[in-house]
Amino acid sequence: MDFILKVWRQNGPDAPGRLVTYEATNIPPEASFLEMLDIVNAGLEARGEDPIAFEHDCREGICGSCGMMINGRPHGPGRGITTCQLYMRQFKDGQTIVVEPWRAKAFPVIKDLVVDRSAFDRIIAAGGYISINTGSAPEANSILVPKEDADLAMDAAACIGCGACVAACKNASAMLFVAAKVAHLALLPQGKPERRRRVLAMVAAMDAEGFGNCTNEGECEAECPKNISIAHIARLNREYLRAKFFSR
Amino acid sequence: MVSILKKAIMAVTGLGWFVYVVLHLAGNLLLFKGPETYNAYSEFLVSNPLIIPAELGLLVFLVAHLASAWRVTRENSAARPQPYLERVLSRRGGTTSASGWFSTFASRTMWYGGVLLLFFLILHVWMFKYGDRSGAHGLWGLVVRSFKNPWISAIYIAAMLPLGFHLSHGFASALQTLGLLKPRWYPGVRRLSQVVGWVLAAGFILLPLWALLFAEV
Ligand code: HEM
Ligand code: FES
Repeated sequence: MDFILKVWRQNGPDAPGRLVTYEATNIPPEASFLEMLDIVNAGLEARGEDPIAFEHDCREGICGSCGMMINGRPHGPGRGITTCQLYMRQFKDGQTIVVEPWRAKAFPVIKDLVVDRSAFDRIIAAGGYISINTGSAPEANSILVPKEDADLAMDAAACIGCGACVAACKNASAMLFVAAKVAHLALLPQGKPERRRRVLAMVAAMDAEGFGNCTNEGECEAECPKNISIAHIARLNREYLRAKFFSR
Repeated sequence: MVSILKKAIMAVTGLGWFVYVVLHLAGNLLLFKGPETYNAYSEFLVSNPLIIPAELGLLVFLVAHLASAWRVTRENSAARPQPYLERVLSRRGGTTSASGWFSTFASRTMWYGGVLLLFFLILHVWMFKYGDRSGAHGLWGLVVRSFKNPWISAIYIAAMLPLGFHLSHGFASALQTLGLLKPRWYPGVRRLSQVVGWVLAAGFILLPLWALLFAEV
């Protein structure tokens, strides 16, 4: 298959960027989007040109590093997939494909399609953990977790921190990410003791990074590769208001 | 101020105004009943000792709503300094989220619609609250004669469009902001919000329409 690519090229955080057009030729339909970029980059390198910088690691939808805006949608067309799980057979032969990095003040561009998502790491460092020594795996029935809570916590824990929620949101808000982390831990007995401190600290850290405010539109949920629901954002709001006004 | 608190203030004050708007419509539908009933209702309100605290409360709520809206809107445009060259919204891209929520005209124009409502509110209070009600049929006469002017009726009808849009996003949004929604309620609450917004807008539109076309002064 052949494609016309329009890729955002930007040399560094403060350099000006622009869309550059490339031809991607002889791409196998079963190539993933990242493999297609590999092929294009091999061609660029053979001609002595600078390859397109993009981030990737697991290439199986679990590390969250490969996010990019493809034809105006985070992780491209399709639902519940990351860029590395997007296959070129999804596109029409000869189609023009526009590729941009995530755009948010809190996610500055490092180079081309690579953005700095360490804002997410700082939010996690503010409270997205439980501070006990877990030791070896405990006996499974010593702490009972209702099935409903375990299911909800698992849904939230599916978040891979890719940043598609921020990319999709018209306000570049990180609420779905923070909601997933807060909900995951608040629903489980191990997370309960630090519930109040966690939500206050993580929301404060989120605000400090310069993400926007949530206006409840649901674009994040529509584009989340893990289909995380905005019902978790309602839970985050509940957790926050409870911690702020209704606890000790 | 913390993002979630700003949104919570907007939600509480917005819902407060929503309750007022519902009561205000219910009261004003008495216009159809004629001058005696309508003027008696107005007299009952004005002579009520609770009227001043209620008005002050509404004013405080409006200022808080506006101040939060201003901050939220400004911060949100600052959060993405460089816009996308290409962006597909969920519904149009063939994707809808499981909750059934997506970005709408109403949700994207909350600030602009809100500002229009503010201008309308100022005009409206000036015309009727501080208007001259000493003519024939008292306040009822003032209202009906005003609406007999097609320009004034047109402004009142047009002003209800931003109200319909504002509430068709705002009502559901406020419940979500306050964390009151359960997962399975989402699609229903969004539709309810749209019905609530447009039923209120339509209710208010009936008043100038009726006065213009059918009322006899
Ligand atoms: C009749 C008067 C009004 C009513 C009943 C009302 C109601 C509401 C409600 C219920 C919300 C949802 C709060 C939330 O998202 O949590 C809201 C949001 C909002 N309001 Fe109002 N409002 C009124 C007037 C205004 C005015 C005068 C302005 C600005 C000049 C304004 C600007 C906004 C903005 C920017 C939002 C954005 C919230 C979002 O995008 O989620 N509103 N309003
Ligand atoms: S490379 Fe790990 S999620 Fe795509």
